[in-house]
Amino acid sequence: MKPLKIGITGVRGIVGETFTPELAVEFAESFGTYLDRGRILVCRDTRPSGPMIRSAVLAGLLAAGCEVVDLGTCPTPSMQLAVKWLKADGGIAITAGHNPWQWNALKFVRGDGLYLNATQGEELLDIFHQGEFAKAGWDTIKQTIQPADAIEEHVKVLSESFAVETIRSKKLTVAVDCCNGACSFLSPKWLATLGCEVLAVNDNPSAPFPHSPEPKPETMAQLCAVVKAGRAAIGFAHDADGERLGIVSDLGEPLSEEMTLAIAADIRLRRKIGTVVTNVSTSSAIDIVASRYGANVVRVPVGQAYISEGLIEHNGVLGGEGSGGITVPEVHMTHDSAAAMGLILEHLAQTGERVSDLLSGLPRLTTLKHNVTVAPHRLYSVLQEFRAVMDQERIEIDSTDGIKVTLPDGWVHVRASNTESMIRIIVEASEQAAARELLDWARDRIKR
Amino acid sequence: MRAIPTLKISISGVRGVVGQSLTPKLLTRFAQAFGTHTGSGTIVIGRDPRTSGEMVKHAVVAGLLSTGSRVIDIGVCPVPTVQLQVRQRRAQGGIAITASHNPAEWNALKFIGANGLFLDSGQARELLDIYHQGEYTKVGGAELRTVEEVEGATDLHIKAILDALGPLPQSQKKLRVVLDSCNGAGSLVGPKLIEALGAEVIPINVTPDGSFPRPAEPVPENLGELCRAVKEHKADVGFAQDMDADRLAIVSDHGEPIGEDYTLVLAILHVLGREKGPVVANLSTTSAVADIAKRFDCPVFLTKIGEVNVTDAMQQHQAVIGGEGNGGVIYPRINFARDSLVGMALVLHLLAESGKSVTELLEDIPRYTIVKEKMTCPSDRIPSVLRIVRQEFAQFPLDTRDGVKVILPDGWLLVRGSNTEPIIRVVAEAKSEDRAKAIVSEAISKLGF
Repeated sequence: MKPLKIGITGVRGIVGETFTPELAVEFAESFGTYLDRGRILVCRDTRPSGPMIRSAVLAGLLAAGCEVVDLGTCPTPSMQLAVKWLKADGGIAITAGHNPWQWNALKFVRGDGLYLNATQGEELLDIFHQGEFAKAGWDTIKQTIQPADAIEEHVKVLSESFAVETIRSKKLTVAVDCCNGACSFLSPKWLATLGCEVLAVNDNPSAPFPHSPEPKPETMAQLCAVVKAGRAAIGFAHDADGERLGIVSDLGEPLSEEMTLAIAADIRLRRKIGTVVTNVSTSSAIDIVASRYGANVVRVPVGQAYISEGLIEHNGVLGGEGSGGITVPEVHMTHDSAAAMGLILEHLAQTGERVSDLLSGLPRLTTLKHNVTVAPHRLYSVLQEFRAVMDQERIEIDSTDGIKVTLPDGWVHVRASNTESMIRIIVEASEQAAARELLDWARDRIKR
Repeated sequence: MRAIPTLKISISGVRGVVGQSLTPKLLTRFAQAFGTHTGSGTIVIGRDPRTSGEMVKHAVVAGLLSTGSRVIDIGVCPVPTVQLQVRQRRAQGGIAITASHNPAEWNALKFIGANGLFLDSGQARELLDIYHQGEYTKVGGAELRTVEEVEGATDLHIKAILDALGPLPQSQKKLRVVLDSCNGAGSLVGPKLIEALGAEVIPINVTPDGSFPRPAEPVPENLGELCRAVKEHKADVGFAQDMDADRLAIVSDHGEPIGEDYTLVLAILHVLGREKGPVVANLSTTSAVADIAKRFDCPVFLTKIGEVNVTDAMQQHQAVIGGEGNGGVIYPRINFARDSLVGMALVLHLLAESGKSVTELLEDIPRYTIVKEKMTCPSDRIPSVLRIVRQEFAQFPLDTRDGVKVILPDGWLLVRGSNTEPIIRVVAEAKSEDRAKAIVSEAISKLGF
């Protein structure tokens, strides 16, 4: 099976196998056509295929008549902010986020700095499939204009959103693992602005990823060691493009990525009670935290665009996903790990609380995630078969995104990945053994 | 049969109109094919300043990188600079992004081998086969290499010229040169070279912004502004480059275009005066080339039309100088390419060392006039047209390597089909314009057009 996924979230694949320069060129031409030319920002993370895909994207955008601003290597949220202050009509982020280093992808951003929503993603795909693109002639074709410093502006916007002086006065020691990704440029700078003693590891953007760029406990061993050795107040782990955030406590305990949102919500709701927007696949810990403050949780399908839209629709105070992506609306309506860091450090500085103190008050559930690789043409039939089994067994389903069922011991969520050809099974229960049973229960019913 | 007039994929590369046929996908595929053909080595790329140049460059870079090639981007520069850099950097190949004398809406890729020469027809066919088969080398992960943007390639070019020829000999009066670079790739390096040689330069049209202040082809009818400037500034010589700075035309000290054929003639006059050896030109080049070579007792070899045919023959015969009648001078001691910079340096040395003006030099050289006509002719009819020429002119010596060339007692006639358009070209040379015109019209009437 070829690792390539073309869908409403863009195009994603392995460079050297399926993700060819022609594909990148044509998606860029499609996007330039979709936005009717205009000014488009381009950024990329630190993958070795970044320069190749960048050239292909620039060629496609220029051919479609766009004016291109190449921001170079920077986190995706830095580009999303820059769309606004550079008055651009859109942006393309060249990054496969948390996927392994052989992968790359294009992510499409609109003029308001948010990702294309599902409908817009479909419209873009229609243009791509039709293959008829806007073409600039010699007298209308534009050039790439000089890059602007998106990182500096990002730090400026962050500084205006948090109590920087209070944080500075505490001189917190903070460990950070940038995974040699795009946050290598942003995160140490932002922490220095906050007056932190920064213990940075893997902050060399020209070096390969030292581990999978998915901030999960199994990739945070090095960070845990740094937190312990440096007696840091907290450790932060980044993905490749600055969306997801993993946390290591002051005791050196690596936390499940599901806990990032729970911590952020606990901090947020103490100050300001309001709606939290998350996806159907995220830990119930968020419901427990929210209910303590009498706050509402809105569940949307998996994908950042849904979180952004949910936040706007419900005037939410915080958005986030179980993957570790956090949206702080004061900064912008999109996942931004640097914004999440600001929120957490502000709390530590203002209250003197430790991360371990915060954790002691939070529910610790067991979430298990399991992926079943399925041929692309079978993805949706597998889901339908699972739905039929649920009907047979007369189990009520939530079909916001895939199929979610709530059972006495916890819940099970089965959905098709947006980015890879696999079925994701997520289960959650209060105890490990119960979670395992739920996972086996789900796998049995998918095998049928 | 309806031809698509805006795209030409052939053994001389790929050429098309931006905004129509020359799409980034096509370009990136050609670059992938070339990266595959060269075995994922180091590739030098450079471009002329056309407005579409940046788009084409990025498409080419993407294609090359995807095959694991390492790319050295030397930016906006003459085509001969790309060719020279391929050799200087021991690269596996080069791509020049230029549609040379074509109008602004065109662009093209020209492929250069590891020897700095354009691909010969065999290599070009292999490249086309790879392109059409569509199976390109693909690398991922750590095998992917990067593009390096390198400055100063044109300075190395100037240095190579100065190393080979030296500065102009000191004289009481500096030579005064007007240079018209057509806002092309020679805009920045041209004036620099002339100054480095020790002449005074008055540059016009040296803003490389992709605007075409005149048609790019440096033929007499496009050189009015240069002629006026030469007169106005009382210059010793005027030089005109095309968009990619491979061809050179000369305006005399009287402000008159000397005809682009005579660029090569003057260059030969200078080179053979310093070292004797074989001369190579194509079949369509003026007989003055042979006259000058004879004066120095040097052999002349004429080849089929096409730069690569000339360079091939130059290597085979170890020529000391060669080129084409369109203003393309090839001086292998510096660069195995048509090179307007080299042409300027040779002609300036000739002027300085002889102490003669362009007009005086020309008085000493046989003058011929070439007349060119073209007629629409479907390509399937070309063989029968050529057969008629062979029959009608059977009493004269014929050269049939490229069309039919008839060696007349007082000149020559060349009839050949175009490689790029459905036309047939009729070219004649004689001592007088009247006679050359008469030869052409006689031929045309015999062909039944």
